[in-house]
Amino acid sequence: MIQVAGLTKIFNDKKRGKVFAVNNLEFNCDKGQIFGLLGPNGAGKTTTLRILATMMLPTKGKVIINGSDVVKEANKVRRQIGFLSSETGLYDRFTPRETIRFFGRINGMEDRIIEKRMNEIFYNLDMEDFQDVRVHKLSTGMKQKLSIARCIIHNPPILILDEPTVGLDIITARIVTEYVKSFREQGKCIIYSTHIIREAERLCDVIAIIHQGNLITQGTIEELKRNSSSNDLEEIFFALIIKGEDSE
Amino acid sequence: MNWKNIKLIFIKELVGTIRDKRTIIAMVIIPLIFYPLLFMGIGYFNQMGNVKSEEVTSKVVISGTEFTPQLVKYFQDNNKIEVISAKDDFQSKLQRGEVQAILIIPLDFEYKIKNGETNQLTLKYDATEAKSRVAQKRINQIIEEYKNEIILQRLSQLDLQEEFIHPLILQSENVATAEKITGSFLGALLPYLIVILIFAGAMHTAVDITAGEKERGTIATLLVSQMSRSEIVLGKCLAVMVISLTSMILGLTGLTLAFLSGATIMGGIEGVKFGISFHTICLLFLVLLPLVGLASAVLIMVGTFARNIKEASSYITPIYMLTIFLGIISISPGIELGGKMLLIPVLNSSFTFKEILIGKIYWSHIITTFSANMIIAALALVRATRLFTKEEVLFRS
Repeated sequence: MIQVAGLTKIFNDKKRGKVFAVNNLEFNCDKGQIFGLLGPNGAGKTTTLRILATMMLPTKGKVIINGSDVVKEANKVRRQIGFLSSETGLYDRFTPRETIRFFGRINGMEDRIIEKRMNEIFYNLDMEDFQDVRVHKLSTGMKQKLSIARCIIHNPPILILDEPTVGLDIITARIVTEYVKSFREQGKCIIYSTHIIREAERLCDVIAIIHQGNLITQGTIEELKRNSSSNDLEEIFFALIIKGEDSE
Repeated sequence: MNWKNIKLIFIKELVGTIRDKRTIIAMVIIPLIFYPLLFMGIGYFNQMGNVKSEEVTSKVVISGTEFTPQLVKYFQDNNKIEVISAKDDFQSKLQRGEVQAILIIPLDFEYKIKNGETNQLTLKYDATEAKSRVAQKRINQIIEEYKNEIILQRLSQLDLQEEFIHPLILQSENVATAEKITGSFLGALLPYLIVILIFAGAMHTAVDITAGEKERGTIATLLVSQMSRSEIVLGKCLAVMVISLTSMILGLTGLTLAFLSGATIMGGIEGVKFGISFHTICLLFLVLLPLVGLASAVLIMVGTFARNIKEASSYITPIYMLTIFLGIISISPGIELGGKMLLIPVLNSSFTFKEILIGKIYWSHIITTFSANMIIAALALVRATRLFTKEEVLFRS
């Protein structure tokens, strides 16, 4: 469903000159799969996901999402994806119902279908108690549920989730990861970025470790363990990152 | 372009703005309640102050009372004046505010009166003190009375009538009605007020729904939707236009109320009637709408470019100052509009307003103003749409 080939993004920085935020990234993600992008802050995870979500143009390389090119057919791509990141905040002065109705409408959905799907989602996410309370009065956990609802209202086959548990307490974070798992069961293709190793290990089918814009390795957890001397993902992660830095 | 999407954004921004308490305070409470109360307060205290200083007896030091008992009697007979005999430190008493005025009578006062010469008296007072100004007025009046008395004496000594020294009298009559005076006063001020209120009304919302969206991290949700960038920009611009127009109308209403309430207390302006025909209102809107569009589009453009609300405000301040400057130029008396000046936004609208209000309708001015402002507004909108596609503008931090 997602094919990324030779993806490169170069920023021109006044002080540092050309900066390779993402360098020659290659990966694929299939239906019913959670693909984890694991890396420390500044590794290039957010830039990669912004390009996948048509927010940014790649300098080089190709990204095909469900058959559509992110550069040439951005609008077609947008119809296929649900995007969640720190930049997809919520409007404080609207209630969850108003928020979802608005996002359903701007994604071209009919009101009748919006209402039906919204009721389902609110029931599944246990949001019915606060569906008519304005967002500024909601807790962080409630807000994150609403963000998830917003990102899936138009029932996209692909979800692009940029650190969806960042800043959440452990209970809310758990709720979020459980939903992500349920989306996999629904057959969605999910790209999931995180810097939390435990989370990636627990959730992702395939993990790509990226560091300073480079893809260091990718594979299932078993594959990563097999190719390494250690059995612990954290050990593997640090070993690979140190190796990556030495080889530069 | 899909109008349904434009409408969705328009309604979302409008509802969001109306639900913001700050908008309600700035748009409704301040003009409709605060302005009238402020003016009433100013009028009330002003009047209280005036009444008080009119009631108080003025303490006046007269130096040289012995040189003219006759004049001094005039002062003593006046119940609003208390004559205080001059002692050594009377100068400093005036400075300390213990007395309100000092009158110095020269030694040869009576001698000069008798010989038909001119006497010079000196009056010292403090123009910054209301009570002292009242004392000065009262003394002037008494001196004037005494002077007339002496003139009459001198004329009768020469066997002349009073008319002899008044060969001409000019009586001026102002034929302007109170309505006309008010009209011309408002006509001179209104264009400036309209321009300022439009910009002030648009500023907060324009920044809040552009730079504010970036600051709160909500912008990406719009960008990943099915809407095009131009639909987003147009929807936002229309919302700002409505808010700007509404706050202009509410602002004018508030100022009118304030003006009337303040004026009533300050002694009243009679016959304040400001009638505008429907035809004039239509013409005004023809000039007004492109100006509202221009203000909204330019402010949206600046707000989109800025990183956050704070940065947007610092970009907008000079634009606002320039608007005030152009507004002031347009209401300055004696400046005639024409030629290239019609292409300068704000100045052209404000000036055309003024012309329409005083009944001078030049279609060439109206059409040029309309087109010039529409073109600039469109350019600003195109630029704002481009900014919405620029990742370095949308994601800079």
